[in-house]
Amino acid sequence: MKRFVKLILALFITLSCIVAPLASTAKAATNDQSSTKEATESLAAVKKRGKLVVGVSADYPPYEFTAKVGGKTEYVGMDIEIAKQVAKDMGVKLEIKNMDFDSLLVALETHKIDATISGINPTPERRKNVDFTDLYYSGKQVILINKRTASEYKNAASFDGKKVGAQTGSLLYDLVKKQMPKAQVKGLAKLNNLVIALKSNKVDGVAMDYPTAKAYAENNPDLTTMDPHFIVDKDQTGYAMAFDKGADSLVASANKTIAKIKQKDLITSEYIPQASKYMTQSTKENKMVDYWTYFAKGVEYTLIITIVSVFFGVILGTLLAIMRLAHNKVIHYLAVAYIEFVRGTPLMVQVMFVYFGIGAVIQSMPALVAGIIATSLNSAAYVAEIIRSGIDSIPVGQTEAARSLGMSQAKAYRYVILPQALKNIWPALGNEFITLIKESSIVSVIGVADLMYQTQLVQSATYKGVAPLFVTMLIYFVLTFTLSKILNHVERKMNHA
Amino acid sequence: MPNLIEIKNLKKVYGQTAVLDGINQEVKQGEVVCIIGPSGAGKSTLLRCFNQLEQATAGQILFEGQDITQAKDQDLNQLREKMGMVFQSFNLFPNMSVLDNVKIAQIKVKGTTDAAATKKAEKLLAKVGLLDKKDQFPQSLSGGQQQRVAIARTLAMDPDVILFDEPTSALDPEMVGEVLKVMKDLANSGMTMVIVTHEMGFAKEVADKIWFLADGNIQEDVTPEEFFAAPKTARAQEFLKKVLY
Repeated sequence: MKRFVKLILALFITLSCIVAPLASTAKAATNDQSSTKEATESLAAVKKRGKLVVGVSADYPPYEFTAKVGGKTEYVGMDIEIAKQVAKDMGVKLEIKNMDFDSLLVALETHKIDATISGINPTPERRKNVDFTDLYYSGKQVILINKRTASEYKNAASFDGKKVGAQTGSLLYDLVKKQMPKAQVKGLAKLNNLVIALKSNKVDGVAMDYPTAKAYAENNPDLTTMDPHFIVDKDQTGYAMAFDKGADSLVASANKTIAKIKQKDLITSEYIPQASKYMTQSTKENKMVDYWTYFAKGVEYTLIITIVSVFFGVILGTLLAIMRLAHNKVIHYLAVAYIEFVRGTPLMVQVMFVYFGIGAVIQSMPALVAGIIATSLNSAAYVAEIIRSGIDSIPVGQTEAARSLGMSQAKAYRYVILPQALKNIWPALGNEFITLIKESSIVSVIGVADLMYQTQLVQSATYKGVAPLFVTMLIYFVLTFTLSKILNHVERKMNHA
Repeated sequence: MPNLIEIKNLKKVYGQTAVLDGINQEVKQGEVVCIIGPSGAGKSTLLRCFNQLEQATAGQILFEGQDITQAKDQDLNQLREKMGMVFQSFNLFPNMSVLDNVKIAQIKVKGTTDAAATKKAEKLLAKVGLLDKKDQFPQSLSGGQQQRVAIARTLAMDPDVILFDEPTSALDPEMVGEVLKVMKDLANSGMTMVIVTHEMGFAKEVADKIWFLADGNIQEDVTPEEFFAAPKTARAQEFLKKVLY
């Protein structure tokens, strides 16, 4: 019991050490942001940097999606065109950052991006946290359904007792929930996955914006749209670009651009037709082989993340294991608290915490670095436990023999204990490496271009849900299987020695 | 002969039980001491206090004039270097060849060159009759062979005294002889040795002194002739009656 209390205490101390400085700096950052000085200078700051970083969730054709332009993958769509125009009028370069829709506003508030444009409705709740430009487009909300079931669905009431999918965090999600109370809402982060769910009858309809639904229907002969007549006010149906709270000069500049675009009617006359062209083009060339560069790039990132994380994870894990075995109670409980806390929280939360939380202190931290830090810290906890069990498995007589020959504790560990422990734990350690390859797929949530992330790009580019997943599955298997063969080989060699 | 080890009022208490209750003894240079006594009397505990594998509760152990119970890190490592130990369960390093077992501490503790360490290890392995096994790993050796390697490993550090903690207790009977022979040769060469043992015949033949440990105290500290022929205390008489039929 006493031990348990100590453990909890140590946990709190460690936690407060991490969180307290974080919270205070984050607060300080927000204060700076809302001060008028910053507000007038926000445009100047962007101009000085020479680039406007805009976050998008590029799975929402025709607003934003990816297409191959001259062999290269590019972000295209009407929102992208607007962003380009906004940046051009500011006289700076445009940099696109792709991430989950859910992460966009968080990224904006934590200054990972300067602005976001991604079919976002300026709802009153959102207005509390970010500043919006004027509406640049407003459209109808419809439900995408399978053509063969089209006769069943006449109005909103037809969906009573049925499943309706919607993108989590979107206006559509709220609309379905409130205005179709007898339907079951199914929320997923990616629209692609919702469409796959529809095609495989996991859901009966997917609520989305009219242009998007139309794009899906045009590219999929099995799909069509129906109008459930959602009741919405104009503020909720329109789309606007979002900036950080108080960035008035940026908003003003973007408003000027939007007014110009609206006046020339560029969206309907130019941007949407152009987006449609990209969409038909990408549905034509949708053999997986054509997208091998996506997968290759993904494998590269996945391997980088895994190898670097294994390296730091083992170093840190060894340190933690030795700390945990230390006689000093403070050091011991610090290590125990760290290990228990990290093992008791999901990797996905840790990845997001490092990127958005620690990223609030170190603004320039790229998503890749955040992902590597999070997976390394996570893996260290597991490796520490494996190494500790390895050290524990070596009879105490080995240490005694080494010490009685005059070796220091450090030398005894280095030459006698750890080499034997490593041999004992090799299979468990190998397992951890293999797990890491697979688990690293979670970093795709913060937009690290790993294999999983590339898969999502291929899905949205090809309008195919299952084929890219299958290819990815095969790639992951080849990676882990090869690694496990290599590890077995090393194990056999060690046993010969 | 000067005293190599002096034990002053050594106490070891586990919970409420005093396993060693104020021991005062000396070991002279070149002396062979056998510690004898009933099971659980604390013979191994006493021996392990000598090189601090066991922390004494109170008292002093002076080794070459230095109090080893107060020695810290670096000093302790240096004292242990000069105080070899041979264990009941051999404790050879299974991740190294026989030769490397004898070389490792020479190189990593003394800083000897690889060539010099090899030369010395080979000489010592020849001395214990195991030079032909130098490239094998400990697990492929018999118990008796492993214990002889362990003795060679200890000798490689040029210790001033070697502590033997029941060196033959884990051996099959037919292997006891080969280990005892090596120990006898060592005693004859003038090595100071403190041996916890149940081999009465060996103690009688090789020891200069017998320490009879029972009930937390050294009850008798006499020559083997005196001890085995005419034990003074009732406790020793009773013990000998049991072990010698």
